[in-house]
Amino acid sequence: MPSTGFLSVRIDFSQSHLFFPTIIHWILLVLAIAIALVYGPGLIREFREGKRRLLPKGSDVDVLRLGGTLILTVAYFVSMDWVGQFFPNRGLGFLIMSVPFMFGLSLLYVHGLTWRRFAVIGLSSTISPTVAWYTLAQLFHITLP
Amino acid sequence: MNIMKSGLLAALVATAGIASSQALAEDMPIGGNVRIVIGSKSTGGDTYQNTSIVAKALAEKLDINVKVDAVGASAAFKAIDRLSDGNTIMVFHDQSYLGFLYGRKGYSNPFADYTVGPTVAINPGNAYLVPKSSPYQTIEDIIQACADGKRIRVAIQPGGVSEIGFSALKNAIKIRYPGKEANLVAVNTGSQADKNQLLFDGQADLINGSVQANEQYTRLPADDQKAMRFVWLTARKQTIEQANPEGMGETSREDLLKYVSPNASVTQDGSKDFTFDKEFFFLYNKDMSPEIVAFYDKALGEIFAEGKIQETQKKSFFIPNFKPSSEAQAYLKDKMDQYKVIIESIR
Amino acid sequence: MEFLSALTPLFFGLVGFGVVVGIIFGAIPGMTATMAVAVCLPMTYGLDLTNGLALLLGLYVGGISGGLVPAILLNIPGTPSSITTTFDGYPMTQKGEGERALKTGIASSLFGGLLSALVLFLFAPTLADFAIKFSYIEKFLIILFALTVIASLSKRLLLGIFSGVLGVWLSLIGAYDVSVGGNGEYRLMFGFMEPYLESGFSLLPVLIGLFGLATIFQEAEAGIREEVAGDLKLEAGKPFSFAVFRGQIVNLFRSSAIGTFVGMLPGVGGSAASVLSYTQQKNFSKDPSKLGKGAPEGVIASESANNGLTGGALIPLLSLGIPGDSTTAVLIGAFTLQGIQLGPLFIGENLATWDTMMVALVFANLVMFAVMFFAIRHIVKVITIPKYLLYPGIIMMCVVGAYAINYGIMFDVWTLLLFGILGYLGQKVGLEIAPLIIGFILGQQAEVYFVKSLESFGTLSIFFTKSPIAMFLWVLIGISVAYSIFGLIKARQRDRDHGPDQ
Repeated sequence: MPSTGFLSVRIDFSQSHLFFPTIIHWILLVLAIAIALVYGPGLIREFREGKRRLLPKGSDVDVLRLGGTLILTVAYFVSMDWVGQFFPNRGLGFLIMSVPFMFGLSLLYVHGLTWRRFAVIGLSSTISPTVAWYTLAQLFHITLP
Repeated sequence: MNIMKSGLLAALVATAGIASSQALAEDMPIGGNVRIVIGSKSTGGDTYQNTSIVAKALAEKLDINVKVDAVGASAAFKAIDRLSDGNTIMVFHDQSYLGFLYGRKGYSNPFADYTVGPTVAINPGNAYLVPKSSPYQTIEDIIQACADGKRIRVAIQPGGVSEIGFSALKNAIKIRYPGKEANLVAVNTGSQADKNQLLFDGQADLINGSVQANEQYTRLPADDQKAMRFVWLTARKQTIEQANPEGMGETSREDLLKYVSPNASVTQDGSKDFTFDKEFFFLYNKDMSPEIVAFYDKALGEIFAEGKIQETQKKSFFIPNFKPSSEAQAYLKDKMDQYKVIIESIR
Repeated sequence: MEFLSALTPLFFGLVGFGVVVGIIFGAIPGMTATMAVAVCLPMTYGLDLTNGLALLLGLYVGGISGGLVPAILLNIPGTPSSITTTFDGYPMTQKGEGERALKTGIASSLFGGLLSALVLFLFAPTLADFAIKFSYIEKFLIILFALTVIASLSKRLLLGIFSGVLGVWLSLIGAYDVSVGGNGEYRLMFGFMEPYLESGFSLLPVLIGLFGLATIFQEAEAGIREEVAGDLKLEAGKPFSFAVFRGQIVNLFRSSAIGTFVGMLPGVGGSAASVLSYTQQKNFSKDPSKLGKGAPEGVIASESANNGLTGGALIPLLSLGIPGDSTTAVLIGAFTLQGIQLGPLFIGENLATWDTMMVALVFANLVMFAVMFFAIRHIVKVITIPKYLLYPGIIMMCVVGAYAINYGIMFDVWTLLLFGILGYLGQKVGLEIAPLIIGFILGQQAEVYFVKSLESFGTLSIFFTKSPIAMFLWVLIGISVAYSIFGLIKARQRDRDHGPDQ
């Protein structure tokens, strides 16, 4: 029952996928303008006075650990998918790549490396993926890369 | 770094060695586990249920792990697009070409882009229902109401199996009362719960449903807001005739036959009635070797020849329907061509 | 008493086994109750219906409950419904009250679970008839009501609301899903993204990316200085006693009831339950400013609600054949695989099954409490694992969870990374994660119910005039908004009097 009046809305089904996103875009725009008006002047002042900078000082950021995490993670994701295709549906891509990934990341994170810690890391990065793989892929038949 | 690399290589080689020796031992064209991706995301639906039955039989027959993954249509197509080794295969139903005919995003012509494999079963339950309090007793009443200029709202999920019955009904009205088909309008919605809800709310006069999901609603007392009535099952008469005589729930096979052509008639072209059976079949990567296609055909052929799987299927209200690949391809292609005519005529 | 014969030692054993496995799934970041039920579904082929359900119900209760462990100890929600548990649970851990938070959560879970089981047993068919009075319009208003939490969760109102709306926007990317009634067309993306993003971003990888991976990035930026998560002393804070529930009886009942109610509404996702009850607790609390800083009442509200969900979600499942949340949707499979159809006549025609299900549900809650309450002493030690071992392990499990949530989609793993980076960078520019994720969870439902309501009725006025339920919901929304504005004004006054916190 289509009704008239200023609240009436007609939605064409074939275009209905754009109706709600359009509303959201307008809301986001209004909010963004409001935020710019409220916080903008203060921010600009802080930038001008040098209290705030676009990038944090190099000394505040552990570039090695942050960058290393990113690189290792990307390498991990790419490689497990790639290795996995040689062993269809066995989850071995996950198992084979998780070990070096965990090993590498632990070494990256650890401070004050000793032989003892090295051994613990080695054990942990072999045992945890194996246990996870065995329980999930073998016992529960969960599909893994 | 070098040590790690070579260690990894050694591990790779070792595992590969195990994998290949196993494959040789069993003399199969596929090595490793089989993963069947299905075109549905639900593990409670008929696709999962039917595929599980087949997967279990295949696993026993071939003595390998067969895993069913409910990844949904587009992800499933993508998976078999990428992998041609025969370890990852797909099971889906008529939606795979209906989605293409209706121009749904994420679907392409399965006969052009994939290899269509054997059919395994039919779900004969595709149904149309009205509220129990509805003035319309039969599907013919609904056609007549449209002819008389009444607006009939039909709740469907657009773009596939749920819409094909609606399209056929619209087409039938167009053939018999040209111009009146505009009175049959779709209310586009999602799940079965949504369709039922539209009926309860009085926002739809007719809904698409299924014998399985709606049978209990048809047995509710008429004063219950939730009570419904079947008016049409799209299955072929001979399909329903193969069901167990107990039918579904308390509704016997005899009862169900009342709602099937020719008793409930929706014409396809003026002479013969429209029917639609939802059939489950395998889909493979376009470049999968013919050897593997034949391998699955043979394995399934033997499973169906043993006759045990049919019992399980019928118990779950599926109609066994094994056709090897080549037969299935010709049959399904013809089916698609017929529906194409219907969908285009009402466009 | 026909059903008594089904109550064999095997039956109880399966419930117990299910609970333990469920807790483990729930407790691992990235694994959910839904996943636990889904992976164990094929195991029920070999069992009869009663025993199969015993296992699955155990998994359901265990999985929902286990989610509080990583939420409280690591600030990573183990399951989507324990997001609000992190708000107060993790601050408690930081105060050295991890064990107290866990025990409070578990006791609240038990209460919520039992209350909802009782409601299910006594009122299932009546409530199912009530649930179908909620059409698109009323469901939209419930989602809107839940969205009002964004205002009260925001640290800075404008930025919080912006983050929430951004979350909604992110949830809309991809196809307008046909299975919920959309037209299947793509939006908010460029052509080259289509092969990956057609189903949009999945909730679970988004969640563990924002909470799990983003935190690890932040820690990595700071150089992973402390060996152990935050130099925590395990028993530094207050020990647990049941006195924590003093004055929280209303909270317990209200939150469990909200959980049960939201569970009961098909199509309103389970995570909305804990979000709603957390908002309500914040609105009604004597001191709302304490919430979010380690108040046990927040944990109570969240955990009693998400276990209240279990009984609630079974109501439409068993009395309409329609699942109330994502886990019960998987549970349907257990019935269909046994050739049993659910529907409005199911309970009446299968009284024995129904009774055994009730026994399993109650027993599962009791086992959950017993197992977790006494295992906590050991579980808490997770936070004593050095970070250089813990974090790689967390990433690995998040990968498993993300990959497995949709049964093996590699893009979900990339989503994890994408949202890890978004969370990490976003917080630097003032984006607020909690409102963002709540917007993301509720966004799609808000869209469908809003657009469908207008498609059917063609006028905005229908939202006010449809039914008494709709008007009642508007009153609730009004009160909720008023409370959060009032709360903000009060907080600002206090800041002016005593100076801001930082």
